[in-house]
Amino acid sequence: MLRNLLGLRQISQRTISTASRRQVANRVPEKQKLFQEDNGMPVYLKGGLADGLLYRTTMALTVFGTCYAVYELFVAAMPKKVK
Amino acid sequence: MAHQTHAYHMVDPSPWPLTGAAAALLMTSGLAMWFHYNSMLLLTLGLLIMLLTMFQWWRDIVREGTFQGHHTPPVQKGLRYGMILFITSEVFFFIGFFWAFYHSSLAPTPELGGYWPPTGITPLNPFEVPLLNTAVLLASGVTVTWAHHGLMETNRSQTIQALTLTILLGLYFTALQTMEYYEAPFTIADSVYGSTFFVATGFHGLHVIIGSTFLIVCLLRQIKFHFTSTHHFGFEAAAWYWHFVDVVWLFLYVSIYWWGS
Repeated sequence: MLRNLLGLRQISQRTISTASRRQVANRVPEKQKLFQEDNGMPVYLKGGLADGLLYRTTMALTVFGTCYAVYELFVAAMPKKVK
Repeated sequence: MAHQTHAYHMVDPSPWPLTGAAAALLMTSGLAMWFHYNSMLLLTLGLLIMLLTMFQWWRDIVREGTFQGHHTPPVQKGLRYGMILFITSEVFFFIGFFWAFYHSSLAPTPELGGYWPPTGITPLNPFEVPLLNTAVLLASGVTVTWAHHGLMETNRSQTIQALTLTILLGLYFTALQTMEYYEAPFTIADSVYGSTFFVATGFHGLHVIIGSTFLIVCLLRQIKFHFTSTHHFGFEAAAWYWHFVDVVWLFLYVSIYWWGS
């Protein structure tokens, strides 16, 4: 148990001394492998599930927004006559 | 699997030009709806779609360049031309507002009292916050060059530090300008003085925010090891844009703040 305590002390000391210089790992090679995979996916969907969700959200907003804009333009072009 | 026998980039079909165009439609018609029918729905929707488009389109360019290797030397040359042409178009955009300023200030009309600054306007003291802003932007030009040298000399920590400092200076400028806008003794409605002052400095401020955002993206990419010592065009484009923003400010300072007071 004492050895474990000593081990814990070593780990905590090491952690504290490197905590001020957080190391970010270089993940570029993994990304290169993912995006060069020959799966026929276009680049805007190739990253995974999140890409598809974001794309569908953007497109849904686009379609709705365009229809709504055209509708409002029609309404604005035909003012209601006040009796 | 077919391989290309040329060095150029034949892009995958992409939905972002379409969503971008829709965003433009929604923002313009939305502006009209806001002005005349008191509704901000279209405008807000347009802005949201524009931000989504920008995020995904530029994310895809990073993927195509850094992860798929499509940015060969000829492709990079095209990107350089593109950025230079874009900045040139922005220069002409600002020339218009400077033209307006000089048109009104070189021959002040009787309605203004025949004087510039017009009667009743107390301009800001150019040797107070505006001078500090000048120093802040000039310093940020130095720090971004320091960051570039760090990048070219594969000095990771100096690049990150210098780029962070550049961004902080940019944010400091924005904070100071916001405070100046709030405290100014005149408004945009105060004759052509107010119009030229706030439209010219306002568009400049917007470009500072855009430039700061571009630099923040570069900082994140630098931390994630996207840049190499010989290939970092995204960073160079951000630095060019930042220097352009700095130069516009120098012209604004000399013309509107200093000569115009």
